[in-house]
Amino acid sequence: MSRDRSSGLFRPGPGGPQMSRRNMLAALGVAGAAAASLPVLSACGVGGKASAPNGASAVTGGFDWTKASGQTLNILQTPHPYQLSYQPLLAEFSELTGITVNVDLVPEADYFTKLNTELAGGSGKHDAFMLGAYFIWQYGPPGWIEDLNPWLQNSSATSAEYDFEDIFEGLRTSTRWDFVNGNPLGTGGQWAIPWGFENNVVAYNKRIFDEKGITKLPDNFDDFIQLAVDLTDRAENRYGISTRGSKSWATIHPGFMTQYSRSGAVDYTFNGSELIAEMDSDKAIEFTKKWIDMQHQAGPTSWTTYDYPNATGDLGDGKAMMVFDADSATYPKNKPGASKEAGNIAWYAGPAGADGNYKTNLWTWSWAMSANSRNKLPAWLFIQWATGKEAMNKAVEGGTYADPVRKSVFDTTFKRVAADQFGYLEAFETVIGQSKIQFTPQKKFFDTTQNWAVALQDIYGGDDAASRLRSLAKTNTSKVNL
Amino acid sequence: MTTQTPKAPATSPEQPAAAQRRNVPEVPTWRRKLRPYLLSIPALVIVVGILYPFFVGAYYAFLNYAAVNPNPHFVWFDNFKSVLGDQVFWYSVRTTAIFAVLATLVETALGVGLALLLNRSSIIGKIFEKVLILPLMIAPVIAGVIWKLMFNPQFGVLNHVLGLGNTFDWLSSGNALFSVILVDLWIFTPFVAILVLAGIRSLPKEPFEASEVDGASWFFMFRKLMLPMLWPYILVAVIFRFMDNLKVFDHIYVLTAGGPGVATRTLQIGAFEDSIINLDYSRGSTYMLLLWIIVFITARYLVSVLGKAQRRAAGAES
Repeated sequence: MSRDRSSGLFRPGPGGPQMSRRNMLAALGVAGAAAASLPVLSACGVGGKASAPNGASAVTGGFDWTKASGQTLNILQTPHPYQLSYQPLLAEFSELTGITVNVDLVPEADYFTKLNTELAGGSGKHDAFMLGAYFIWQYGPPGWIEDLNPWLQNSSATSAEYDFEDIFEGLRTSTRWDFVNGNPLGTGGQWAIPWGFENNVVAYNKRIFDEKGITKLPDNFDDFIQLAVDLTDRAENRYGISTRGSKSWATIHPGFMTQYSRSGAVDYTFNGSELIAEMDSDKAIEFTKKWIDMQHQAGPTSWTTYDYPNATGDLGDGKAMMVFDADSATYPKNKPGASKEAGNIAWYAGPAGADGNYKTNLWTWSWAMSANSRNKLPAWLFIQWATGKEAMNKAVEGGTYADPVRKSVFDTTFKRVAADQFGYLEAFETVIGQSKIQFTPQKKFFDTTQNWAVALQDIYGGDDAASRLRSLAKTNTSKVNL
Repeated sequence: MTTQTPKAPATSPEQPAAAQRRNVPEVPTWRRKLRPYLLSIPALVIVVGILYPFFVGAYYAFLNYAAVNPNPHFVWFDNFKSVLGDQVFWYSVRTTAIFAVLATLVETALGVGLALLLNRSSIIGKIFEKVLILPLMIAPVIAGVIWKLMFNPQFGVLNHVLGLGNTFDWLSSGNALFSVILVDLWIFTPFVAILVLAGIRSLPKEPFEASEVDGASWFFMFRKLMLPMLWPYILVAVIFRFMDNLKVFDHIYVLTAGGPGVATRTLQIGAFEDSIINLDYSRGSTYMLLLWIIVFITARYLVSVLGKAQRRAAGAES
């Protein structure tokens, strides 16, 4: 038997060229190998494309809001009281600048997943986006976000009336870092401009407190726990204190980190060459035990699934008597019609530390500019407008925007609008001097802080606090110094 | 051994190609030459659509690529050493295995039971047949959201209906894994039931009628007749469900995000945490590659078992 050995991938046949099974496999193999080799060939391109130039120095001449008139801007936001307060004002921005604004909204649960993916891909689809300060530590090192200092410094791009220094100092520094472990916040580039922020304080159900004759709010943590226990009545489906407990870094940053700091504990220390995790210090262990014990005795039954909507929702529904979370998250619940307990919610700074300190961890929603944006001047004009005095005063007038990042806006419009919110302004004034990001900045924040939340859940589930926290500290020390 | 000689074509040697060409429409040469390339397109799409991401993922597993390290280099097996040396990974393997085995076993048992019930032709059976498909039409993410509300001790319907008060936590460390398996059962048992029901309805009636005449009991017929013939259908359902359960992510992530602690952290959730939350793409890819190895080996084994069962059901193998 003879075989047609005419080579090549395709052999001619009676009906034209035919492909043998072996040759088909060979072809697929080649194609597969080619496909597989693509990433090898593009190895240098791993990490996305090179970012566009900063662009601030290209802006010259006198400042003019209409410098980018006719251009289009794409922004990414998450539905939030800040976003809702500014939504009606966007038309004014377009009128002022001649810039068309396209807004994409992504729910908060998916917002950072979407943003992570988009920025890692280097698409630059959105020119500006809402950003939390901790995310700067993750997005800054790979060069995904633009340093806004050159824009702030350029009088051709920034209005003389902008007054950046009017933004609370703790917020300005919280959005700056040089990405060097051991260096504090406030160094390096200005990676975002604060837009709205949250102090983590205690909100409580004043109606129930009044009914029970509670007039003196606890000023130390032990009394606070006792009050929470006293207020708990499981038979009535009522419990004393609601905090976040889900498996997320976000469980650590509000009430937990605030009271942890007030208790004198820190997350890391720097020994000159590396960061050392301190979640297993004596103070940290003692505080963590108390915190978890409080959850068992007076927290929600399914604490390990609780995010802020659950925590603040239970306060609004009259199930939780107190919430230790963001003031801005409980503030809208007190507006008429917003919740069952609307009008009954009051605030105070929460328990002080043993030395009387009111250290408070803050969260700030800020505006950042994508390094891959092709519309940097429109993006900067938008950021400048959104964080400027005029727009912020109007947003605060809407009644659900708390807290304004500008001292001038807080002292005037906000004080007037929030005057009827029992204890809100007093709590704010009590903590603002010591309100800042209490975490040590580091590039593995989300990984190590989620580990921390996992450890809290394990302790809640019955693990020994001291040994679990020692294990956490060991893991986190090795991770942050990689 | 005999050989068959192919029959000669109907045309005579005097009626060569010209006559054949009259019956076959003329195809232009360029179309004939293009045909094999067009036929190759689906395979190329598969190569690009499936193999490309796969090989990119495998490639990343050998780098130290992360958001904080955008200019990676080869670290060869360092990621594998790190992941395999991490206790949390082994918790995830254990959780994934428990989830996959338990969920598949119970779904199969319940699915077969339901299929047998639905096979009895009654109005109720016909109604249930339609209603049972409903959970399958709900995306697992949505099912997760619905069950999260039902599990809530403060206002969830389950504690209320079952009289568990407001202190029983379905998603606590001790209960969470079983609760997420319960949700999986709710979504996917109908899938098994429908597959097995289709198998039951395709079985020949004669053996059952004959054994009924002989006075065989229902259980005897089920055990000796139906089950052996049904086995390949059941195995197909097992393969689908087991593969799917090894890769489970969506409703678990919605319900617990892999917690409390690591109680429901499956391998997929571990990969998601590393790749998307921590932006450590290489570590996430390592998780996925290890999961792929597990799925590949398991699939190969189950498919070989299915082949044997099919041959046995066809009477080719005793």
